Amino acid sequence: MDIDDILASVDRPDASTPESAALDHQLLTRFWVAERGVSELLPWPAALMERMMDRVRNQITQIEDLAASSTDPISMTTSTTNAATTNLTLSILQSDLSRTQYLIRSFLRQRLSKLTAHSMHYLLLISRQQPPSQSQDSQQQQQPEDSIPPPPNPHETNPTPLSAEEVSFLHAHQTLLAGHYGASFLGSFPQQLRRLDDNVGGVSMVQGPEEKEVVFVRCLGEEVRVVVPPGDGVERETLGTTMRMGDVWAVRWEGVRGAWGRGEVEVL
Amino acid sequence: MAFPLPRGITPSEISFLAEMETVTILPRQRLEGLELLGGPVEPLLPPRRASLPLWLALLLKRQRRANILPPPWLHPESLELILEIETKNDEYQHAFSPPPPLPGQPTPRDRRPPTTRPHYTPDGEKYYPAPPFLPQNTARDHIPPGEPPALPFHWLEVGTMLLEAASDDLVEPDQTRRLLKELREVRMAKIRSGVDVLDAAAMGGGGVALTGVGAMELGEGRRFIAGVVDGLRRIGASKEQARREEMAEEMANGGYDGTQDYEDGEMEF
Amino acid sequence: MSYYDIDAILTDSQKLPCTFELEVPGLGILEGNPGENIKAGTRIDLPLWLGEMLSIGARLGTSRLVTLDLPSALSERVMNALKADPRTVELRSLAPHFYSLSERILELFEEEEMVEVLSNTFKKRSAEIADHAHNPQGALGQGADFLRGLDETERQLFRVAHDSAKETRIWAGEAKKK
Repeated sequence: MDIDDILASVDRPDASTPESAALDHQLLTRFWVAERGVSELLPWPAALMERMMDRVRNQITQIEDLAASSTDPISMTTSTTNAATTNLTLSILQSDLSRTQYLIRSFLRQRLSKLTAHSMHYLLLISRQQPPSQSQDSQQQQQPEDSIPPPPNPHETNPTPLSAEEVSFLHAHQTLLAGHYGASFLGSFPQQLRRLDDNVGGVSMVQGPEEKEVVFVRCLGEEVRVVVPPGDGVERETLGTTMRMGDVWAVRWEGVRGAWGRGEVEVL
Repeated sequence: MAFPLPRGITPSEISFLAEMETVTILPRQRLEGLELLGGPVEPLLPPRRASLPLWLALLLKRQRRANILPPPWLHPESLELILEIETKNDEYQHAFSPPPPLPGQPTPRDRRPPTTRPHYTPDGEKYYPAPPFLPQNTARDHIPPGEPPALPFHWLEVGTMLLEAASDDLVEPDQTRRLLKELREVRMAKIRSGVDVLDAAAMGGGGVALTGVGAMELGEGRRFIAGVVDGLRRIGASKEQARREEMAEEMANGGYDGTQDYEDGEMEF
Repeated sequence: MSYYDIDAILTDSQKLPCTFELEVPGLGILEGNPGENIKAGTRIDLPLWLGEMLSIGARLGTSRLVTLDLPSALSERVMNALKADPRTVELRSLAPHFYSLSERILELFEEEEMVEVLSNTFKKRSAEIADHAHNPQGALGQGADFLRGLDETERQLFRVAHDSAKETRIWAGEAKKK
């Protein structure tokens, strides 16, 4: 089947057709490569992941049904050639399922590793949408756990790059870690030295991912300008080099993040 | 829960990605059409050709249920021609031979805008298809005159896998193997000697073009290239900051027109 | 500078020459004379983090305690040697964290030319590193001397280049998984 046919048919979005399965598979693959390639956590593709998980569930049911029917004594009357074909079909469906499961698993694990590597950074990021809680400002900070920002309200819409599951994972992870630090060594420090988000001496304990790290991208739009985000006194975004359709470039992630969000470049 | 892999997909993951490329097969048995998570698979009806993902084609080939029709670029004649461009053409002394264009991409000669319009995802976002989801490795009966042979993004992986599992379907496999190896060496040397222009990617707004690079070549070079650019960025950080502050001052004084912020760093390997 | 980065901490402990502008009572311990005073004009090598802190008065407008000098690893003599041939200088013996130190020093001193010399040095040596890393024999060949002189940043670069080349060879079936 021609790729253009596949894509043309999903111009009117209908997530239930086989063609949209092909497109979602392409989207997930591209997203996985990007998540593996950039330093920061990318926004959780909620709708895509929901569709993918639905399909995976359905496919597993299908495989189970097919496997059951092939060993069913009543339908065993079918000829041996038919049984061989069923086995072939089963092995194809299984391979396809394993490949998709690999994609999803690797994608999720890569995300968790980014979250745990910069746990305090992402906790602050997701709590920034919240009004600061009382305990934040009080002088009663005693335990490392007290530096952990409270999780966002689960009933609000989620404006952060994390999924709801990732938010609760991250919070539980950091609470365990802080408790462990407290019990094993920070507890014996003076109270003012027990924090995990200190900024004393101009060096912050909270480290985010390096957004200036270089990434490799392919330009998909007609023309894309690399940008320099505001900073160092320059208040607005400024423009840099021009990339053209089909080009592959090594550029700073912060310089193409916007274009990536618009689907005009892909990370390689 | 440790994740053991470095950033950027690794050779085995690149190979996994290349297995999603579409190839052409000649089935030796019938099989009903299937609906896979990767998309629909057409029914197999010998002697009709079919287009399938490479991983499935290899699965059928290993069980002698199909033959694979090699893509036109994986032919000694095409590879000889590409090797000549890579080694003898002055224009590509430091650059890779041009890759197959994306759908609708204008050639450098005609300066018309691309003829493609983006597709849209079910979530309403723009989507332009790219390898491994383009028919760059399917067999073609008719190649328009004047179309030069070109190495697709996953050339090394597709070539290596076909040589390994389907060498009996290829024209002169030994010759093909030798040419692939030669191409790989010539092109890796270009990546290594390209260090000299990497400072163009170390400044904000800059970049270095690697157009034509293959996925596996990028996989082999990416951490080194990223390391060099990162090092150059750190060495130049104070200078870059000073330059930015100057720019901020110019902007404040209205002496900055903002049309071209940086000299065009159109550097190529 | 990164809080948990051991290389950043080691970089900050590298020494640079500091000259005391004022007499400081009781600080003789820095010179190995505990209990004594440090006299104005005394020149001692102090770790970067300490020297930077003591020199900060200038920025606050008060008279500063010490003035900093370029460390010997980044002296004019070294810059000249790097201009002549970057590949023959043993950076590691100058400073184990040579480039990280340079990065910190360039934050403190305005040295436009040094940026040029160091960028060029890093590029030339990186190209050489790539060639050695691509060679399956690795450091066993005649490159051993060059590789011994790599600083930490360069060693890291050699490691990623070597590992990437090896992984690719394993994928291609040209090498075995260890």
